[in-house]
Amino acid sequence: MDIKKLKPVFFIASILMAVIGTTLYMGSYFSGLLFILAAVVLFLAYKWLESGTAALLGLIKAGAQALMVPVFGIAIAIVLGALVMLASNYDPVESYRALFYGAFVQNWHVSVLNAAPLMFTGLSVALAFHAGLFNIGAEGQYYIGAMAATFLGLNLNLPPFLSLILIFVIAGMLASAWNIVPAILKVRTGAHEVITTMMLAHTARYLSPIFIRAHGGDPSTSDHAYVTDQLPEANWLPRFRSFLPEANYRLHVGILIGIAMALLVYYLLYHTRIGFEIRAVGQNKDAARAQGISIGKNIMMALLLAGFLAGLAGVNQVVGLDHKLYENLSAGYGWNGISVALLASSHPIGVIFTALLWGALDAGGQYMARVTDTSNSIVEIIKGIILFLVVAKYIYAYLGNRIRRYRRRKQEAAEGAA
Amino acid sequence: MSAPQDTKQVILETKDIVKQFPRVLANNDVNITLHEGEILSLLGENGAGKSTLMNVLYGLYTPTSGKILLNGQEVQFNSPKDAIDLGLGMVHQHFMLLDPFTVTENIILGSEPGKRGTIDYKQARREVKEISEKYNLKIDPDAPIETLSVGLQQRVEILKALYRRAKILILDEPTAVLTPQEVDELFEVIRDLRNSGVSVIIITHKLEEVMAISDRVYILRGGEVVGERNTSDTDKTDLANLMVGREVVLTVEKEDKQAGDTPILTIEDLRVLNLKNFPAIDGLSLDVKPGEIVGIAGVDGNGQTELAEALMGLLSVDSGKITHLGDDITHMGTKELIGRSISYVPSDRHRFGLILPMTIGENIMLGYHDRKPYVRGIQLNYKYINSHAEELVEAYDIRTPDVQNPAEKLSGGNQQKVILARELSREPTFLLVSQPTRGLDVGAIEYIHKQILAMRDRNVAILLISLELEEIFALSDRIEVLYEGKIVKEFDPKKTSHKEVGYYMTGGKE
Repeated sequence: MDIKKLKPVFFIASILMAVIGTTLYMGSYFSGLLFILAAVVLFLAYKWLESGTAALLGLIKAGAQALMVPVFGIAIAIVLGALVMLASNYDPVESYRALFYGAFVQNWHVSVLNAAPLMFTGLSVALAFHAGLFNIGAEGQYYIGAMAATFLGLNLNLPPFLSLILIFVIAGMLASAWNIVPAILKVRTGAHEVITTMMLAHTARYLSPIFIRAHGGDPSTSDHAYVTDQLPEANWLPRFRSFLPEANYRLHVGILIGIAMALLVYYLLYHTRIGFEIRAVGQNKDAARAQGISIGKNIMMALLLAGFLAGLAGVNQVVGLDHKLYENLSAGYGWNGISVALLASSHPIGVIFTALLWGALDAGGQYMARVTDTSNSIVEIIKGIILFLVVAKYIYAYLGNRIRRYRRRKQEAAEGAA
Repeated sequence: MSAPQDTKQVILETKDIVKQFPRVLANNDVNITLHEGEILSLLGENGAGKSTLMNVLYGLYTPTSGKILLNGQEVQFNSPKDAIDLGLGMVHQHFMLLDPFTVTENIILGSEPGKRGTIDYKQARREVKEISEKYNLKIDPDAPIETLSVGLQQRVEILKALYRRAKILILDEPTAVLTPQEVDELFEVIRDLRNSGVSVIIITHKLEEVMAISDRVYILRGGEVVGERNTSDTDKTDLANLMVGREVVLTVEKEDKQAGDTPILTIEDLRVLNLKNFPAIDGLSLDVKPGEIVGIAGVDGNGQTELAEALMGLLSVDSGKITHLGDDITHMGTKELIGRSISYVPSDRHRFGLILPMTIGENIMLGYHDRKPYVRGIQLNYKYINSHAEELVEAYDIRTPDVQNPAEKLSGGNQQKVILARELSREPTFLLVSQPTRGLDVGAIEYIHKQILAMRDRNVAILLISLELEEIFALSDRIEVLYEGKIVKEFDPKKTSHKEVGYYMTGGKE
C-alpha cells in the first residue's frame, strides 16, 4: 500500500495527540508531555510525506534557528543570575533547583494559572505589532474586560455554557471598544497610540474602584472593602478537576482557551486576507496603500482585535480564577504582555511558550523564596536579562562579526608568520 | 586595444586587492592605478564590486589580501578617518548632511577650528569661503542645507572633502540624483578640480557619464577588472559589452506603430494640491491612446509624483477630470482603479512597490489578495499564490531560488521584475510607469524596456514618467514636457533633440 495515502491519518493523529497531550499537561498530568512528543513526531512524519526529506530538514533547521536566540538568551540569563546570587551570598545551585522544581513540577499549576492571562495580553500586543502599532495600553483593556465580565457574571442567569460564551464575547467586545477612541484618533489625526492607549489604561484602572463599590464593595467593612460580590458558580469556567481528578482545585481551563486563541490569531495573521492586510500595513503602509489596501481600516481592525484579546485576559481571571473583582490587585498582566510579545518576536505560537515561561518564572520564584532564603527579586532580574538579550538581537550580529574578524586576524597572523 | 599610456605620476595604486565576504568574492585581484590630476571612472553593474573596492580604499572594509599604495608607500586604512587624514575624500550617493545646519557648519563638522571646545565660526566661515573661491565652487556659506537644491548639496559634500585637504576625491554615483543642468555643472566642477591637481574617481554604471567626463575607465564585472580603456579610444557599445559580458542592446529596437484613435485615458484640466496645499499639478491636460507610449519629461519636483499619485487615487484631485475607457475615475479609490485594469509601476520600488519582508508570492498577490482564486472566503490560497508566482518568476526571468523568499533578498533588478510581473500580468488597458529603471544596470534596463514595448505591442496605453531623458527618448512615441505642474510643450521624439527638450524642462520659453 502506498504510504502517502496515510498522510491524512498522520495529520489527524498528530492533532489528536496534541490536543490530548496539551490538555493533560496543562492539567498538571506530566504524561501529557509524551503525547505532545508523539504529536511532534507524527507531525514531522506528515510533513515528510507531504514534501520530502529536504523540506523536512529545512523546516527543522528553520525551527532550530528561530529557537537559538531565545534559548541562548535564557542560558546567559541563568548564568548571570547565578553570578548575582553569588555576589549577594545566595547559593545558586540550591536556589535554581528550587526555582525550576517549583516552576515546572511542584507548582506547575501556578505557572499555568499565571500564564493564561499573559497569553491573552501577549497575543494582544503581538497582533498590534504586526500592524506596526504598539498597544501599550493592554492593561486598560484588561480592566475593562474584567469589569465587564464581573458585571455580566453577576447578572446573567442563563444555561451555564451559554452565559460563559456571552461573557467572553461581550466583555471582549467592550474591551475592544475601549480602543475605539485611540484607533479613531490614530486614523484621523495620527495621534500616537502609545500615548492614547496608555492614558486610557490608567483611566480604566482607576474606574475599577468605582465599579467595585457599585457591585458589592463596601468601604465601611474591613472584610468586604475592596472586592465585588462573588459570581454564581454557574458562571465560572470549568476546572480541570472536573475531568482530571488529581488536578489542583484552582486550575481552570482558561489556558486552553488561551492556546486556542493563539492558534486562531496565527491562522488569522498568516492564512487570511484580513491578517495579510494587517501585516502589509504594518510592514509597509505606502506599498499597501498603493495596492488599494486601506490603512485606516486596518489600523482600526488591529487595535480593536488587540483590545478584544487583552479584554479576554481580564475575563479569564474573573470567571476562571478569582470569581470576583479585587481592587488594587494589579498583577500587571497588561504590561507583562508586552514582554511576552517581544520575547516571542510577536509570533502568536511563540506567545504560548513565552507566556508559559514568564508564568513559570513567577511561580518558581515564589516557590524558591518560600523554601530557600533567596529573594524573589532574583527572578525579576533574570526576566530582565532574558528580555534584554532576546530583544536586543543586534548584539548577536555584532558578536558574530567580532568573532569572524578575530578569526580572520588570527588566520592572517598565522599566514604572515608562515 | 593597447594599454593606455599615462606619463603622469601615479598617486594611488591597488595591488591584488581581494575582498572575500562569507558567501561572495566581492573583489578578486583588483589592480588599479590613479594618476595625479586624472578623472578615472570605475564602471560596472550593481554587484560588480565597485562599491566594495571604494569602501576598501576609504577604510570602511579591510581587504582580505592585497595592498594599497599611496604615493608609492604602502598604507593601511582601518577606518575612514585614516583615509581622510591621508588625503582621500568621498561623496556618497546619499548625502551625509544635517539639514537644519548651515553650509559652513556642515563643512566643518568633525574638524571644527577653534580651541578648547569652542568653535571659531569666523575662521570657519573664512576658510569655507577661501576654498569655495579657490576651486570655483560658488555657494552661500550661511545657507541652511534644507534650502539648497540637490546639486548644491552635493557641492557642499565636495567642499567638505576639500576642506579636509582631499587630494583624491571619490564620487559614488554622483549624477544619480541630479537634473541634466546640474549634471553639466557638476562636470564643470570636476574638470576644474582636475585642473587644480585633485584626482577624481567616479563610481558609476552610466555609460554616458563615463564618456562625458572621465579620462580613463576600468570596467569591473563579477569582482574582477575585465578591461581598462582610455575614454578617447572607446565607445559606449564597447564599454557596455565589457560591463555585461555579452552583446547588449543599448537602445531597444522600437518599431513604428500606429496608435489607436480613441484615447484610453484622458486627463482634462487637472489640478492637484500637494501636502503643503500648493498646486503641484495645475491645469494639466493629456490623453493616452492604445498602443502608444507617452513620455512625461521633466526635472524632478515639477509634479511627477503628484500626477502619478492623483492618477492612482493616492492623492485627491482638487479639480479637473480623469476618464478611463469612457468612465469618470477622477475620485475613484485605488482599489477600484486596480480592479479596472489600471496598472502602476511606482518610482520608489522599496517604498511604494514592494513590501520587502514579505515573500515574492505575497508581493505578486498584493492588491489582488481579496479576489479569487487568491482567496477563498477569508482564507488565502497559498498553493495557488505560490504556483502562480512560480509561473511569473519563470516568465519574467526573476532570479530567485524560491518564491517564498522575502523580496528584500532580491537584487534591485529582480525586485523591479517582481513589480513588473505583478502589474503586467494583470493585463492592463492603461499602464502608468514611473522611473522604471532607476538605479538599475544596463542588462536590467534592456529587459525592462523590452517588456514595456511588448505592452505597447499589445495595445496598452502607457504613460511613462521618467527623469532620464535617455529613457524618454528610447521609449516614447510622444514626449510631453512637464514644468511646474503643466504640460508646456509636446514633441515628436524623432523631430527633436535632448537639448531642445531640456530647454523646455527648465522653464525655457518659445
